[in-house]
Amino acid sequence: MNRSDTLRRGLLAGIFASLVLALFDFVTDGEPGNGFPGVLHWFGLTMSDPTISHWVGLLLLIVLGGVFGLIFGALQRGSPVTTGRALLTGLALGVLWWLLFEVVLANLTNHASSLLSPSFGQFLSSFPLAALFGVLLGAIFIQWQGQHEPRRPS
Amino acid sequence: MSISSSAQKQQRGATTASEESAAAPPITLSERSSTGLALLRILVGYLWFQQLFWKLPPTFAGLYGYVVRESQHAILPGYGTLLQHTFLAGCPSLSSPVGCTAFVPLAACVWTAELLVAISLLFGLFTRFGALLATILSVQLYVGLAYTEWIWTYGMLVLLALVFVAVPAGRRLGVDLWLAPRLRSAAQRHRLASIASWFV
Repeated sequence: MNRSDTLRRGLLAGIFASLVLALFDFVTDGEPGNGFPGVLHWFGLTMSDPTISHWVGLLLLIVLGGVFGLIFGALQRGSPVTTGRALLTGLALGVLWWLLFEVVLANLTNHASSLLSPSFGQFLSSFPLAALFGVLLGAIFIQWQGQHEPRRPS
Repeated sequence: MSISSSAQKQQRGATTASEESAAAPPITLSERSSTGLALLRILVGYLWFQQLFWKLPPTFAGLYGYVVRESQHAILPGYGTLLQHTFLAGCPSLSSPVGCTAFVPLAACVWTAELLVAISLLFGLFTRFGALLATILSVQLYVGLAYTEWIWTYGMLVLLALVFVAVPAGRRLGVDLWLAPRLRSAAQRHRLASIASWFV
């Protein structure tokens, strides 16, 4: 497996993991995709047209997923990775996703409560899903590696 | 010759048919089917995850109305009485849990069990254990609330949970992918690992 393969798999794994997060917005009470504008709010962006806001939010979520996937791929340095390491690296990136978007950026753009006193409900609604993104990123990556290469002990 | 040959063929054919009926060929799920089932597992986990938010601690007040309804409409004789003497013990009102003696600790147990189900199914972590817990919780909901809503609502919840008890859906897109082979190899040496391996 060369470096460009690893990056490509990381990118696709990140996109698929973010699509799973996007899927949740279609099984949540209210109109489908209501959570997508929230992705724009991380960066302090608001759009008056709700349809455009939904689509741009979805696109941004997928792009961010892809970027995290590329980071994941870059961390593997082109060598085959074990299942445990892939899941742990993914989880670490998920926690980084949560810290960066749900804590730091959301606080900087004043869309969340204080950095030091997040409410329990706010933590519960964001942290597990960010961690899930990371675990999915690692799991998808390792499954594709398993399908394209001879299995290594994990 | 032709007669004996055809008789032999018939006999061979009959033997093969009986062998086939005696041992049905094993079913192997393809990689796509396994991943599809894992995706369904994640969505069912999200279903449980969403339901944590209308009964958040420390009061779990959202749960109270449902427990009252269960105590009034349970389909199992005695179940309503059981709820009245546990969850609803000492409750002065049917509209608010204020003053109940045991509601908060018992509701905390229910909420924690639902959180475990959500984490287990979302992350594919001891998925069959989570699915078993989901089955128990769903059966409880069916017993208490089946006739207060569309009867299949909670029936389907039970059936969905049973699917993930039967199929190891956490071994794709989940932590069980890493856990399963480890527990299987450790099961030969440790009894605890052997028990734990049932749940992945």
